[in-house]
Amino acid sequence: MWPDRRLLDLFKLEFPIVLAPMAGAMDAELVIAAAQGGALGSLPCAMLTAEKAREQVNIIRQRVSAPVNMNFFCHKPVDADPKREAGWKQRLGAYYKEFGLDPSAPINAANRAPFDAAFCEVVEELKPEVVSFHFGLPSPDLVKRVKAAGCIVMSSATTVKEAIWLEENGADVIIAQGAEAGGHRGMFLTENIAEQPGTFALVPQVVDAVKVPVIAAGGIADGRGIAAAFALGASGVQIGTAYLRCPESKVIAPVRAALAQATDESTVITNVMTGRPARGVANRTMREVGPISPDAPAFPHAATALGPLRAAAEKLGRVDFTNLWAGQAVRMGREMPAAELTRALAGGALARMSQMAH
Amino acid sequence: MSIATPLTALLGIKHPVLLAPMDTLAGARLVRAVSDAGGFGILGGGYGDRTRLETETAKLKDFSGPFGIGFITWSMAKQPELLDVALAAKPRAIMLSFGDPAPFAPRIKQAGARLICQVQSEDMAKQALDAGADILIAQGTEAGGHGASRTTLDIVPAVIDLAAGRVPVVAAGGIADGRGLAAMMMLGASGVLMGTRFYASVEADGADEAKRRICAANSGDTVRGVIPDWSRNIFWPAPFTGRTLINDHVRRWTGREVELMQNVGGVSAEYFAARAAGNFDVAVIFAGEAVGLIHDVPPAAEIVERIVTEAEQLLLGRRNFVAAA
Repeated sequence: MWPDRRLLDLFKLEFPIVLAPMAGAMDAELVIAAAQGGALGSLPCAMLTAEKAREQVNIIRQRVSAPVNMNFFCHKPVDADPKREAGWKQRLGAYYKEFGLDPSAPINAANRAPFDAAFCEVVEELKPEVVSFHFGLPSPDLVKRVKAAGCIVMSSATTVKEAIWLEENGADVIIAQGAEAGGHRGMFLTENIAEQPGTFALVPQVVDAVKVPVIAAGGIADGRGIAAAFALGASGVQIGTAYLRCPESKVIAPVRAALAQATDESTVITNVMTGRPARGVANRTMREVGPISPDAPAFPHAATALGPLRAAAEKLGRVDFTNLWAGQAVRMGREMPAAELTRALAGGALARMSQMAH
Repeated sequence: MSIATPLTALLGIKHPVLLAPMDTLAGARLVRAVSDAGGFGILGGGYGDRTRLETETAKLKDFSGPFGIGFITWSMAKQPELLDVALAAKPRAIMLSFGDPAPFAPRIKQAGARLICQVQSEDMAKQALDAGADILIAQGTEAGGHGASRTTLDIVPAVIDLAAGRVPVVAAGGIADGRGLAAMMMLGASGVLMGTRFYASVEADGADEAKRRICAANSGDTVRGVIPDWSRNIFWPAPFTGRTLINDHVRRWTGREVELMQNVGGVSAEYFAARAAGNFDVAVIFAGEAVGLIHDVPPAAEIVERIVTEAEQLLLGRRNFVAAA
C-alpha cells in the first residue's frame, strides 16, 4: 500500500511514478512503454513544433489508454547576441578545425521554444491530463487557459522559495528537483548553482512549505529511493535517468555506451552545452570548455555553435559535443523495457515499505 | 519505543541516532544528554586542542553511559598522542573523519573501542573497511561543516551496496527530523548522524546568537566553500570544504577567494576579532542544508525522542506520511 495516495488519485495512476520528460532523448515510444507499466508518461515538447507535438500525443492516445503529461519549457526567450555568438564560435574554433568544419557556414539556430499561444492551442485541443513546465510557469493568461482545458499543472522547484512561488501562481503539483537530478536545473528565481539543495534536504522542506502534493526528483532510481522519498513526505517521484537505457528511448548507441560506463562521480553541472545549468555525464566539451564558462551564450544559444560539431563527432561514433544529460543515479540505470522497469521500481518500493513495517 | 538495528546492537544503544562530533560544540554536556536519551553522543575532538580534550573527557569520567570521541583525522595525525588521551577516557568508539584511518586503527582496536569511519566516496569506504572499520558513516554534501560533493541520496546507497552487510552504515547530511531517519532506514541505513539539529539544542556549547540564526535560517541559506576556513587560517586538504550559513563575510568574499588568500593575514585578524566579539555576520556558523527544518532550541533528549517517535510512526504506517497541514 502506498502511504500517500494523493497523486495516484489526482492522476488516476497505478503507480506514483512520473517518467521525466527528457527532451532529445525520448519520444512517444518511451511515454507509451512507461504508461503501460503504470507510470505517468511525460512527452518532452521543448524541442518539437506544435504540429509535431500534436502528432506525438495522437500516437500515444492510439496506443495506450492512460493519462498523458505534455512538458514544456517556459524560459523567457533572449535574442541571440551576435557578439557573444561570435566569441563562442571563436572559443570553439579549434574544434571546428579539428573536424574540418567551416566556421563561417550558416548554422541552424538551437530550437528550444518556450510555451506560447501556438502550443497552448495544441494543449486546448488535445487536453492532456497533465501539463508540466520547466523554468517556472508561463504567463498567467496561458496558465489560466491550460487549467480551463482541464489539465493539472505541474512545475519544478529547486528551492523552497520557488516552490512557494509556484503554488501561489497556480501549480497544482510541485516537483521538488534536488541537485542530483539530470538535465536542466529547473531554477527560475535564482542563478546560484552552489545554493541548490540536494533532494534529501529539499523534499521535506518543500513539503512543509506548500499544501499541494510534492513529487521528489533527483537521484531516485530504485525502490529504496522511492520508499525514502515517501518517508520524506513526497506523494510521488519523478524518474528520468533510470529510463535512459530502456530500449524504447531515443538515446543513440555511443551515448548509451557512455551512460553504461558512467559512475556516480561522472556527472557534473555545466552551462556550456546550452547556456543554462544542467547535469550530465562529463563529455569533452564540458571537460575542456567548462563545466562552467562565462563565455557560453544565453540559453539556448550556446547549443547553436555546438550543433555542427556534435553532428560531425557523432558520425564518428563520438560524444565529445553531445549532451549526455543524466543524474547522479546514472550507475543505477538499467537496460530493461520501460514497462517492466516501472513495475520493478514500484514493486521494489512497496516491498521495502512493508518490510520496514515489521 | 525504539528502532533496533545492527548499529544499536553493536554500540549497545537504544536509538539509532548519533551526535556528530562537532568541534567546540559537541562537548561533554551534549554528549551526556544525547547518550542519556538513548542515542550515542560523540565528543568533538576537532582539530586537536589537548587542553579542551582533557577538560571535556574529565567531565565524562563519572559517566556510565556509552559515548564516543571523534577526530579530524588529518589534523589529529599531527599530534597522534591525542588518541591516547581519548582512549584513556574509555570511549565505546572512536570516530575518524577526513583522512586515512589505517595508522590509528590498531591502537583503537587494541584499546577495545569500536572504530567508526566517516566517508564521502566509495574509495574512502574501501579504505576504511580495509583498515578494519566497525561502522561506516556515509556523509552527503548536504551536511553542515566539512564534507565533500556527493549528495546523501547518492552516497548512502552506494556505501550500503559496497559494505554489503559486513558493517552497519549510518547516514549523515540533511537529516533533522523523523522523516529523515525513516527515509534513511528505507535506503537501508542502520541509523543517522546529526550535527546541525543538535547544534540548536540547549546543551550544545555554541553561542545563543548562533543557535538563534540556525532557527531563523531557511533552506538555501547555506553554502559549501573555503572562505570561513581560510579566514581563520585553516587549510583543509582536497576534496573537503565546509558548509556554513551564508553571512556578510561569506557574501563579501564569494568569487574573490584568490584575493582572500593573498590577504589572509589581514582578513584573519579581522575575523578573529569579530569572532571574539560574537559577531556572526563575520564569524562562521557551520550548518547543513536541513537548517530550514530547525525552528527551536530544545534539550537534546527531546530532539532524540521526537525523531525516533516520528520515524517509528512513519515506518510502522501508524501515521500518514504527509505532514499535518
